Amino acid sequence: SASTSGQNRNAILVSHRQKGNPLLKHLRNVRWTFADVVCDYLLGQSSCALYISLRYHLLHPDYLYYRIRELQRNFKLRVVLCHVDVEDVAKPLLEVTRTTMLHDCTLLCGWSFEECGRYLETLKVYENKPSDSIREQMHSDYLSRLTHALTSIRHVNKTDVVTLGSAFGSLSHVMDASMEDLARCPGIGERKVKRLYDTFHEPFRHVS
Amino acid sequence: MLPFQGLIVSDLLDDPNGGLVVLSSGLPLPSLVASLLLLHDASAGSLLLLSASDTQKSAISAALRRYGQPDLPLPFDIPGDLPSHNRTALYASGAALFVTPRVLVADLLTSRVPPSSIAALVVLNAHRLSDTSTEAFIARILRDHSPSSPIHAFSDRPQAMVAGFAKAERIMKSLFVRRLHLWPRFHVLVSTDLERAPPEVLDVRVPMTPAMIGIQAAVLGSMDACLKELRRTNKVDVEDLTVENGLFKSFDEIVRRQLDPIWHTLGKKTKQLVSDLKTLRKLLDYLVRYDAVTYLKYLDTLRVSEGVRSVWIFADSSYKIFELAKKRVYQMVREDGTKISVDTKSATRKRKVNNENKKETGSGTGASSAIETNGSKVDTKAGVVLEEFLEEAPKWKVLRELLEEIEEERRKGIQPKEGEMVAEDAGDLSEIVLVACKDERSCMQLEDCISRSPQQVMREEWEKYLLGKVELHSLRKRNKKRSQEPKGFGVLDGVVAAGSSDNSEPSSISKYENDALLAAASEINILSKEVDFGDNPQSESRMKGFRKTRGKGRSRKGLSKTQLPEAKSYQIDNNDKNEKTSSKHEGGHSDPERKSPGSYQENNLENICIEKDLIQGHKEESHGSTLNHIKPLPPVQFYALDSDQHILDVLNPFVIIVYHPDMTFVREIEVYKAENPSKKLKVYFLFYEDSAEVQKFEASIRRENSAFESLIRQKSLMMIPVDQVIVDMREFMSSLPNVLHLKGMHVIPVTLEVGDYILSPQICVERKSIADLFQSFASGRLYHQVETMSRYYRMPVLLIEFSQDKSFSFQSASDIGDDVSPTSIISKLSLLVLHFPRLRLVWSRNVHATAEIFSSLKQNQDEPDESKAIRVGVPSEDGVVENDVRAENYNTSAIEFLRRLPGVTDANYRALMDGCKNLAELALLPIERLTELMGGQKAARMLKEFLDAKCPTLL
Repeated sequence: SASTSGQNRNAILVSHRQKGNPLLKHLRNVRWTFADVVCDYLLGQSSCALYISLRYHLLHPDYLYYRIRELQRNFKLRVVLCHVDVEDVAKPLLEVTRTTMLHDCTLLCGWSFEECGRYLETLKVYENKPSDSIREQMHSDYLSRLTHALTSIRHVNKTDVVTLGSAFGSLSHVMDASMEDLARCPGIGERKVKRLYDTFHEPFRHVS
Repeated sequence: MLPFQGLIVSDLLDDPNGGLVVLSSGLPLPSLVASLLLLHDASAGSLLLLSASDTQKSAISAALRRYGQPDLPLPFDIPGDLPSHNRTALYASGAALFVTPRVLVADLLTSRVPPSSIAALVVLNAHRLSDTSTEAFIARILRDHSPSSPIHAFSDRPQAMVAGFAKAERIMKSLFVRRLHLWPRFHVLVSTDLERAPPEVLDVRVPMTPAMIGIQAAVLGSMDACLKELRRTNKVDVEDLTVENGLFKSFDEIVRRQLDPIWHTLGKKTKQLVSDLKTLRKLLDYLVRYDAVTYLKYLDTLRVSEGVRSVWIFADSSYKIFELAKKRVYQMVREDGTKISVDTKSATRKRKVNNENKKETGSGTGASSAIETNGSKVDTKAGVVLEEFLEEAPKWKVLRELLEEIEEERRKGIQPKEGEMVAEDAGDLSEIVLVACKDERSCMQLEDCISRSPQQVMREEWEKYLLGKVELHSLRKRNKKRSQEPKGFGVLDGVVAAGSSDNSEPSSISKYENDALLAAASEINILSKEVDFGDNPQSESRMKGFRKTRGKGRSRKGLSKTQLPEAKSYQIDNNDKNEKTSSKHEGGHSDPERKSPGSYQENNLENICIEKDLIQGHKEESHGSTLNHIKPLPPVQFYALDSDQHILDVLNPFVIIVYHPDMTFVREIEVYKAENPSKKLKVYFLFYEDSAEVQKFEASIRRENSAFESLIRQKSLMMIPVDQVIVDMREFMSSLPNVLHLKGMHVIPVTLEVGDYILSPQICVERKSIADLFQSFASGRLYHQVETMSRYYRMPVLLIEFSQDKSFSFQSASDIGDDVSPTSIISKLSLLVLHFPRLRLVWSRNVHATAEIFSSLKQNQDEPDESKAIRVGVPSEDGVVENDVRAENYNTSAIEFLRRLPGVTDANYRALMDGCKNLAELALLPIERLTELMGGQKAARMLKEFLDAKCPTLL
């Protein structure tokens, strides 16, 4: 049983309700297994997904609401995976959007079973992936990186970065500099000095 | 000012956008507006008061005088014909101004008044507004150009606010206000204030005469029949069609609102039923307001004017109405039976004075009909005689008794000063009894009843009635005998013209009866001709004097001993005023009784009566008109509720007799008493027992309460009446702001640091077209944007907006590929969602769908705050970012810096923060410690190398 739970941790747990959903055929990059879960797809410890097709929603407009209510507050990420399978999309999609917004769900839209399946796979595969690939690209050269770091401090511009670098020799010396030394740099006015010094010397966490 | 008034004002001012205040009728609306004026600062611009009625204007000015400093300028009333440059100057002066919507909208459109110079707009009578009214137009212009100036709207007609579907909400929408303030009389703060020192209230129930009861039952019966008939048409919603609702004017509105759209398809009968109900309601109202003779006269004219068409007039019960109404005035008796009936009648008759007249009339019948000559002579001789009954309104007697009782108590109170009585009476206004009745007419009549006697009043009405009959008769004979008629008759044309316009003889009055009436009338003619000479200019001017001051209330001093000198001084008093106002009275009053010629006639009749008094006074001293000279009366003022003046503060009465109960006036009394808690005040209510009057009074309170309950319910369900959206300047490159504006949203362009659209204080939207989405994922901008949105808003939204002319999907199924690929948009979105579980995604087919979604998302949300939205994410000078919850606990600038350092990731930055105090300390940490904290040597080395790397120098 320990091994099954271990296995289950790496698999999507699929509700029995989803039996017969063609989407399941497209879950090939992750393992999945049927289980007794409240949501349609249990993706991780604190994330889950509900599946709804717009065609079904048109027939049962209240279905989604009741399913979301069942979830209660047990999940940090609650995905509503919406299969867009009707032509006239505006009205049903508006309703689904509204319901998900009002009940703290994240709406993802797929236009085919493949696409819907791929979302589920990706959410599972990326469960612990850092955000680096969608964050601002790090430039490899030193000056760009230095500029990137120092300009995060308000009022500090690219010229200031060069000034500070050449005045102190290294970033660690900039970070350790005294107010007087910072103020001696040309172009670094009183305001920037204070911002720089506070950023480096104020504790990360204020004592509450 | 009472505490609750202060609360109403401060509540209203709480919202810089303004609001709509609905309060119970009778609560001091003018004082509320006055206190807004007091708070107005001329340097902020002008304060414009829109749509105030004339009485409201004067009441507001009066309230301002009461509360404010005496040198405070009163709001200026801009007349419509004031030259435009004068208006421009007034607007620029920053004063408070009354202005009509028509003038203001023109001035706004022609830029005579720059919207920015308007500090605030106050709209009165808000219940009259609709989204197409001029006030709404003005509000729209004002909101577009000067969104920060508040609009305050008031209404004291809660019933009118619930007429129609979501009316309050639509009014608020059209004025762009968001807050609805409800102040019903039953509001706990209002009732505590008003009931702290309530006046002493006495409820006097006066029984109606059997005839009145009969008429009331018959009218109600007719109404019921009409309602049943109306229900049968299946054209109206029956729920509101009750007899109780039928008592109110607004009933017509209820019916008309339902029928108006299909009015042209209705049959004659249905339309007639609607108008019949209106007529019947009036009959019910007049029953307790008019004397018996006037009531009969009204019925007569009704019979003439609508006899042919109306449905109700042929109903069984309406026959009873006419019969009983007539019985209250006179009866026809066969000549042979006359003597018996007169004798028996005289035994039951209360007023013996009339005996003499009666016999004269009775015996005169034959003679005068002979004078009338013509063909009717024979018929008259057939032996039908007119017998007067002249039933007095039961309230008259009660009113007199009350006044006598009040005076008695009052005299007891000031016994020691009896010698100075007269002087004191004349000077002391605080000892006044106020009698409030519905209209001017009742005021005048009651005054006559008190000053003279009810019998005289009835007799005069009766004589006028008869003269009217003659006029009707002579009209039918066209000009034939015109020259022979006494001069005084010409002026009476107005009295009967309305009733007899179609010249048809009322069919149901028998010939006999008519002739007898004519005979009785002609007798009076002779009498009045005889006393023509008795008329003098002095008495005429006196009558005019009476007229003029009426409505504002005026004191009639104790009539007993001081009558003569009082009367004299009174005349002198009024003679000079008379000159100023006489033109006004000659100028077209439509009410014939108020025409000066009418009073001329009245005077004549009065003189007759006086003569009669003199004659009869010897014989029957204890009876009739002499009765009113026996007991002294207190100074009395009459007040017509219709005139809508606020007189309580001016007159300071110590007793108020509410002759015609009225909910609004009751509240005014309550407020007056609460404002003067130390003053002793006694209030009498005169109700006819078991009458429609009581029913109507009680129903009016019920109706107002239920209107408030409905408003309270509506308020809880109310959608946000104004849809404001704050839009980042850069977004105006796209068409969405335009489409939002088209949809009626109020678009406010600003420069936003965080987000593109702010829908509410909680909802912030970052909009991405498909191309944008791919591009900003690639650059990492999107991640950063979502991160800051999540930091400042509870509901960060990523809007993915497709284009209408491209397909609504990212990719076709075949493009998806076999594996999870990091470059796929699916992967990127999934990763974003995983890292920001609070991020809401909105998928929109096109711009128009987006607008729909926005307005749907805004429901039940507060409007966004422009000034706050601009500041979001922008650090102030000392580096603190407002609304950033983290800023209070974290050095956000340091954390941002830390996270940009190489080797630092989502996974390890928290550990680094825990491991050292600040960045300066971090810079000095050895590599071993860094390895420990960052959970890996690779990352630690990357960081350390970067920190210690030699900077390239420019040298």
